[in-house]
Amino acid sequence: MAAIIISDPTRTTRPRKATAESLWSRWLIISIAVGFMGLMFVLPLVIIFQEAFRKGWEGFVQAFDDRATTHAIWLTLKVAAITVPLNTLFGLAAAWCISRFQFRGRRFLSSLIELPLWVSPVIAGMVYVLLFGAQGLFGPALKEHGIKIIFALPGIVLSTIFVTFTFVARVLAPQMEAQGQAEEEAAMTLGANGWQMFWRVTLPKIKWGLLYGIILCNARSMGEFGAVSVVSGHIRNKTNTVPLHIEVLYNEYQFVPAFAVASVLALLALVTLILKTLTTTQRGAA
Amino acid sequence: MSIHIHHISKTFGSFHALKNVDLEVKTGELVALLGPSGSGKTTLLRIIAGLEFADAGEGSIQFHGTDVTNRSAYERKAGFVFQNYALFNHMTVAENIAFGLRVMKRPERPDREDIEKSVTELLRRIALEGYGSRFPSQLSGGQKQRVALARALAVGPQVLLLDEPFGALDAKVRKTLRKWLRQFHEETKVTTLFVTHDQDEAFELADRVVVLHEGDIQQIGSPQQLREHPKNEFVADFLDCVMI
Ligand SMILES: Nc1ncnc2c1ncn2[C@@H]1O[C@H](COP(=O)(O)OP(=O)(O)OP(=O)(O)O)[C@@H](O)[C@H]1O
Ligand SMILES: [Mg+2]
Repeated sequence: MAAIIISDPTRTTRPRKATAESLWSRWLIISIAVGFMGLMFVLPLVIIFQEAFRKGWEGFVQAFDDRATTHAIWLTLKVAAITVPLNTLFGLAAAWCISRFQFRGRRFLSSLIELPLWVSPVIAGMVYVLLFGAQGLFGPALKEHGIKIIFALPGIVLSTIFVTFTFVARVLAPQMEAQGQAEEEAAMTLGANGWQMFWRVTLPKIKWGLLYGIILCNARSMGEFGAVSVVSGHIRNKTNTVPLHIEVLYNEYQFVPAFAVASVLALLALVTLILKTLTTTQRGAA
Repeated sequence: MSIHIHHISKTFGSFHALKNVDLEVKTGELVALLGPSGSGKTTLLRIIAGLEFADAGEGSIQFHGTDVTNRSAYERKAGFVFQNYALFNHMTVAENIAFGLRVMKRPERPDREDIEKSVTELLRRIALEGYGSRFPSQLSGGQKQRVALARALAVGPQVLLLDEPFGALDAKVRKTLRKWLRQFHEETKVTTLFVTHDQDEAFELADRVVVLHEGDIQQIGSPQQLREHPKNEFVADFLDCVMI
């Protein structure tokens, strides 16, 4: 769940070259790939659902009849509801800057955007603890004003934003750069102001890429474990998100509930996969 | 509406794309901007439209006596036809043409029926009746070019800037469109500045021709003046070269 790889959506068709491998080696490569996928992705998925329904449908439903579980689900939805819109805006702004303006540090900004992909989420969480924790840099000042960030919702949101801010920007920046801005310029000479230009010209051009980025961002913000784990403090009914709650249940040997809740995340991943495929096809067609 | 360009310079980094350009296009005139590739034609046109800004300094641009040097493109509303059309690919031909009318502010914006009427009228004018519901990707190059022109004309611009409007088309279509543009200009008398690197095109269409070379204006004059009295070697050479 944690590992969402951004594939290059422009590479949807495989060129058939004359140098294609012989039949049997092609079969070998295909079976290795399919076998690996089956072992690494499909099997775990099957096991999750199998374990979730070990005590039948009733056992499954019962798992959700629990205050801590419903709270965790609510909290995760809340975090996503704050994170995704913010990161959509941020991603749009960043992609706009990178693709439309020439400025010093443009290269730097565009590699900074990939930071969450190569910084361990745990470290991201730690940074916020060091900044806002009780012993942290701003800790005393925050305490004085009665503001709680670490071990509370703001901390969880902050670290989730950090982990997921890459998705929208990373999908959009290359797309907007490739499209250029001739149409925007045409809109301006026709008397459109910045707002009209964005809504009528830019947005329709990038909407599938944007949707694709939002879907990925959403999936990751609901599934994030590492960064959130550091800042949340694992307080039941308070700061446990769904992934953290699953770990708690599992450690308490409540296997059916643990897998039942996990199956919800797995389902989210499947829905994401389907939506991602659909948006990629749409982008290819557009 | 007249255009006054006064002491305009443009540098990209250390490269001087335009050097102290002075030019006047009179109301209702059709002026051709002629010059080899890279001479700064597009740059000058973009500066007039407000898509690019000239170097800060004494330079200024006036539309009919009003200083527009610091105004943005959407305030200047110069009709602009791009070298590569720049049609809105996600809109139909009719929506493309109607765009400029639809983004107008409330009091000026025509109501829906009037917009539809103007679009139909423009489609007839560019001889593309019945093409309104097509998308740009379903048009030929010459058709796209005409749609781009109609889109620019829909808002009734006072100034028309055409960047190699027929550049990407074959000789025959060029000739037809050339005639069409001449006729159109005769009817409407919109002040027009158009870029070309085709000497025949410039001479056939324009009231006056401006020869640009390395960001410098070499000569301004009627086709006849240029042919008979080229001011310097470059002009003579450039005009001759193209003739062959
Ligand atoms: N954004 C830019 N950054 C740097 N240099 C530029 C930029 N735009 C134009 N130039 C340079 O300015 C010069 C003039 O360019 P311009 O596009 O105005 O030429 P042109 O006369 O329109 O040529 P063509 O006939 O090939 O279209 C060229 O040498 C070009 O490389
Ligand atoms: Mg040009």
